[in-house]
Amino acid sequence: MTTDWISIPLVALPLVSSIAILAFVAYASPAARDRMGPSVRMATLIFSLLMLVLTTAMFLGSNFIEGTKDWASLSFGSFNYDFRYVWIESLGIHWSVGMDALSFPMVWLTTFLLPVTIVATWNEKNAAIYFPLVLMMGGALIGVFVALDLFMFYVFWELTLIPMFFLILKWGGYDRKYASQKFFIYTFAASVIMLLGLVTVYFLQPENLSYAGAWTGRTFDIPTLTAHAQSANAGGAWFLGESLQKILFVMLMIGFLVKLPSVPFHTWLPDAHVQAPTGGSMLLAGVMLKMGAYGMFRLPLAFFPHAAEHFQFWLMAFGMVSLVWGAVVCLGQTNLKKMVAYSSVSHMGVILIGIATMQPLGWAAALFMMFAHGIISPMLFAVCGAFKHHYHSMEIGSMRGMAKHSPWLATSMMFGWMASLGLPLLAGFVAELMMFLALWHFLSAEGWSVLWMVGPALVLALTAAYYLWSMQRTIFEGGDETQPPESLNGQPVPDIGDAEKVAMLILAAFTILFGIMPWIALDMMNGWTVAFFETLLVPILGGA
Amino acid sequence: MERIEPFSEGFVLALAPEFVLIVGLFTLMIVPNMGDAKFRLPLTQVRIPWLLGGKRRNLDSDPRLPGLLATVFFTISFGLAAASFVSGMTRTQIVTPSGTIMLQIDEFSRMFELIFFGALALASAASVNRLPATARSDRSLNGLYNNRRQVDFYILLITTGLGMAVVALAQDLFMLFIGLELASFSTYVLVSFMKESKAGTEAGMKYFIVGSVASGVGLYGLSLLYLWSGSLQFTDLSAAFAENGMEPLPLIALGMLLVGFGFKVSAAPFHFAAPDAYAGAIAPVAGVLATASKAMGVLGLLRILLTIASPEATDGSAVWLVGLGVLSAITMTWGNLAALGSTNPKRMLAYSSVAHAGYMLAAITAIGALNWEEGHIDMSNDAALVVVTALIFHLTVLVCFKLGAFLVLSLLESEKGGHTLESLGGLAKRDPFLAVAMFIFMMSLAGVPPLSGFVSKLLVIMGIVKAALLDVTVNSELVFGDIHWVWFLALLMIINSAISVFYYLRVGLVMYFHDPEEGREGSLPKGTPVRFAIIACLITTVYFGVGAGQLIALCESAANALIGAW
Repeated sequence: MTTDWISIPLVALPLVSSIAILAFVAYASPAARDRMGPSVRMATLIFSLLMLVLTTAMFLGSNFIEGTKDWASLSFGSFNYDFRYVWIESLGIHWSVGMDALSFPMVWLTTFLLPVTIVATWNEKNAAIYFPLVLMMGGALIGVFVALDLFMFYVFWELTLIPMFFLILKWGGYDRKYASQKFFIYTFAASVIMLLGLVTVYFLQPENLSYAGAWTGRTFDIPTLTAHAQSANAGGAWFLGESLQKILFVMLMIGFLVKLPSVPFHTWLPDAHVQAPTGGSMLLAGVMLKMGAYGMFRLPLAFFPHAAEHFQFWLMAFGMVSLVWGAVVCLGQTNLKKMVAYSSVSHMGVILIGIATMQPLGWAAALFMMFAHGIISPMLFAVCGAFKHHYHSMEIGSMRGMAKHSPWLATSMMFGWMASLGLPLLAGFVAELMMFLALWHFLSAEGWSVLWMVGPALVLALTAAYYLWSMQRTIFEGGDETQPPESLNGQPVPDIGDAEKVAMLILAAFTILFGIMPWIALDMMNGWTVAFFETLLVPILGGA
Repeated sequence: MERIEPFSEGFVLALAPEFVLIVGLFTLMIVPNMGDAKFRLPLTQVRIPWLLGGKRRNLDSDPRLPGLLATVFFTISFGLAAASFVSGMTRTQIVTPSGTIMLQIDEFSRMFELIFFGALALASAASVNRLPATARSDRSLNGLYNNRRQVDFYILLITTGLGMAVVALAQDLFMLFIGLELASFSTYVLVSFMKESKAGTEAGMKYFIVGSVASGVGLYGLSLLYLWSGSLQFTDLSAAFAENGMEPLPLIALGMLLVGFGFKVSAAPFHFAAPDAYAGAIAPVAGVLATASKAMGVLGLLRILLTIASPEATDGSAVWLVGLGVLSAITMTWGNLAALGSTNPKRMLAYSSVAHAGYMLAAITAIGALNWEEGHIDMSNDAALVVVTALIFHLTVLVCFKLGAFLVLSLLESEKGGHTLESLGGLAKRDPFLAVAMFIFMMSLAGVPPLSGFVSKLLVIMGIVKAALLDVTVNSELVFGDIHWVWFLALLMIINSAISVFYYLRVGLVMYFHDPEEGREGSLPKGTPVRFAIIACLITTVYFGVGAGQLIALCESAANALIGAW
C-alpha cells in the first residue's frame, strides 16, 4: 500500500479543519460569527461529504481504490490501507492506522452520519461553532476505529469526550451542566481504569516484539499484541497467567461496559441524551456507544479469550439485565427522548448478549446490531429533536393527533419506532433475528437453561408495547380535533422543515436498504467474525 | 568527567547561565537608578557623567523595565542552559583545591535548570503589569518607592533562580542547603510581597514559619549525617550508606531531611501552608511555588533518596519504602478531596498541586520497590530510569500547564478577581482565547489526551507499573498476587485522577456556563507580556503532548545522568 488513505482524509482532515475553523471563529466578533455561520456549515458539510465519498469508494473495493482487499475475505490480522508512522519511538508508540471488516462498517457509519447530522440540525444556533464541533467529533470517532496502536486508540478514545462535552454544554437542555459533567466524569473514570489495564499489559508482554520501543522494549501495537496473545493463549495456557488475565479483562471491560453502556453503569446515558442537542445525541447514540462494543472485540476478547469464557455468564447476565431493564424503564417514561435513550440501553444489551455467546453468529449479530442501531437510533433522536424544536416539549402525552397536523413528523416517528422495535424488512429486524438464532443455538449447544430466552421474548413484547403506546398517545389519539401542545401557546403547529425531511428520508432509505439487503454489510461482518473465531478462538478453546 | 577548580579556566563558561543571572542581578540594581547625574571634578568645571541618580530619563524610569530585564536575563540563562544540551553535554565538576566536589554540571542538573529558568522567565514576564506601578510622569517620592518595589521583586525572583540552580548543581549537602535556603528565603518574601493585601502578608508569615521549621528540621538531619559520617559529600555519604546504612542514626537523619524537602513538594502532612501561600501570593508567584519550587523539592528528594541512600545500598528493598508509599497515598487522596471542596481557584490549584506531589512520591516509591539483588540490577536500573524520566517529564510539563493556569488567574487578579471561582464566570464570552487556554490547561492537569498532562501521567503510571511488574516478569509464572504492592499506588493514582476531573471540569463549566459577575462584563486588561507567556504555555502544553518524543529523550538523558551516578 503506497497511499495513506486514512490518516489525512479521514482523521486529520476533520480534526485539523474543525480546529482551524474554531480558532478562526473564536477571534471573530459575535456579529461576524453569525455571518460566518452558513459558510462554516457548508464547509463542514462538504468536508463530511468528501469523507463519505471516500469511505464509499473504499467499500466498493479495488475498482475504485487500488489495492483494496476484499472486505469479506480479509484474513484475520490483515488490514486495508494500513499505514504506520513513528510517533514516540522510545516507548514504541506509533501512529498506526488500518481498517478491517470490524472497524470499516463503523467508519463508514460515522462518515454517513456526519452529513446526515449536519443536515438534520441545519438550523442549529451558533452555527459557526456547532458544526466544526460535530466535524471534530467525527474525526475523533474515526480515529478510535482506525487506530491500531493502544496509545493512539486511547488518545482518540478520550478525545471524543471533549467535543461531546461542549456539544452538550453549549447546546443542551435545561440541565446540561449536570449532564455534561456526569457524562465526562463517568466515562473518563472508566477509561482511566482501562488505561491502567493497558499499561499493565504493556509491561507484561515479553520484550522485543515487533515495533517495540527502543527504550522500553515493549510495543503498543494492537495486531502484534493480538498475535502474541493468540500464541500465548494456545493449548490451554493463559496469556499472562490465569489470575492476571482475569483481572486485566475486568479492568478493560469496565472501560467498555461503561461506554456501551451496560446496566449498572448506564446512568450517565439517559442524562446525557436528554440534555444533549439533537446532533450530539445522533452521534452519541449512533457511533459513540458502539465504541464500547468495538473496543470489546478489539482488545479484551482478542487478548483474553480464556477470561472472556470464564466471565461468559456475567457478560450474558449483564446483557440480559440491560435488555430487560432498559425496556422496563422505557415503559415508565413520559419524556420522549429519555424513552429513546433507554431503548438504546436495551439494544446495547442485545449487543452484549451477542458478544457473550462467544460464537461467530452471535458476534455477527452484535456487529450488525451495532450497524443497524447506528442508522436507526440517529433517526429516533432526529425525530425527538424535531419534536423538541417545533413543539418545545418532550412530554409524550403533551399533544395528540400529530398525524393530522404534522404528517411528516408523524410518519418519520412511526417509521423510526417501527424500525427500532424490529419490524421485518427493516435493518433492526435482521439484527434481532440473528441474535435470537444465535442465542437459541448457543443455549442448546452449551446446555444452558432455556429460561434465558424468557428475557428476550419478554422484551419483544415490552418494546412493542412502549413504542406503540407512545405512538398511539402522540400520533393518533385525539382524532380530528387534535390537541396541539400547550407549550406552543396557541400558535399554529408547524411540521418539520425541508432539511429535516431530507435527513429523515436518507435515514429511512438506508434502514430499508439494510433491511432488505443486509448482506451488503453483513457479508463482511460474517467474514470477520468467522475469521476471528477460527484464527483466534478455535485453537485456544478447542472448537466450540 | 571534567574537573575544574573555581575561577580557573572554563569556570565561567561552565556556569554561564548562573553568571548571567548574577549579571542580571547587578543590572537590575543599577539600571533603574540611572539618571543624568554628573560628577564635577574638584576644583575644575569639568563635569563627568556619573549616571547614577539625578533626573531620570523616560526609559529607565519606566516601571515595566525591571520586569522586562528580568525576563530577558532568565531567557538568556534558559537559552544558555539549553544550548549546553544541544552542543553535546560535557559533564563538569567544580572541585575545590582540597578535592571537595562542590557542583556538578550534567544533563540532570541542566534539565532542572531549564525547568527553573523557564518557569521564572514566564513568571517574571507575567508579573510585569502586576505590581503597583506609578505612571512615569509621576516623579513624586511615592511613585519612586513604588517603582523601587518593582526592582526588589525581580531581584528576589533572580535570587530564587540562583538558589534553585545551586540546588540542581550541588554535589554536597552543604551547598544543597545553601541553595535551598537562598531560594526559600526569596520565596518567603515574594509570597508576602503584596503588602497592601492582608491575605498576602498572612500567607507569607505562615509560609515563612512552617517553611523555616521544615528547613530547621532538615538542617538538624544534615548535622546528624555529618556527625555520623564526617562528610557532607554525596559520594562519601552514599558510600557510607552502602556500608552501614541500616544504623538508626542515619535513618533518623534521612527522615529529617525528608521533612525539609517534603515541605517543598507540599507532601502531606507538610502541606498545610501551601494552600494559604498560593492563595495569598500573587498568581505568578504562586505559579512559581507550584512548579519551580516543587521541582526543587523533588530534586532534593531524588538526591537524598537515590543518590545518598540509594536503594541499591539498602539491600533489596529500600528502607524508606513503606513510609513513602503511605505518605504518597495520603498526599494524593487528601489533595484531591480537599481540592474538590475549595472554591478559590488558587486554593484548588494548590491542592491539585498537593495531589500531583502524591503522584510523584508514588513514582519515587516505585524506585524503592525495585529489587537490587544480583541478576536484577540491569532490569531494575532500566525501570528506575523510566520512573525518573517520568518524574522529570512531569515536572517539565507542569511548568507549561500549571503555570499557565496561574497566569490566566493572574490576568483576572489584575481586575481584583481570581479569588473566587465565580470571578471566572463568563470568561468564554469576555475573552474566548483565555477561556480556551484555561480549559486546555485544566484538561491537561486532568490528564486528558493528547495534551502533555496525559503523557506525563501515563509515563508516571508506566514507571510505577513497570517497577511493580519487574519481579513478576522475571518469573515465567504470572500470578496476580505476585505483583508488588506499588501497583496499587498506580491504581489509587488512577482513581484519584478520575476524582480530579470533577474539579478541573468545574472551572470549564464556570467559564462557559456562568454569566460574568457584576462589574466584570467588560473585556479583560490587555497585559501583552502575560498573554505572550500564556501563549507560550499553551503551545508547549499541546506540543509536548502530541510530539512528546523529543522531550522524553531529553528527560531520559537527564535521568541517565542521575542513575548513572549510582
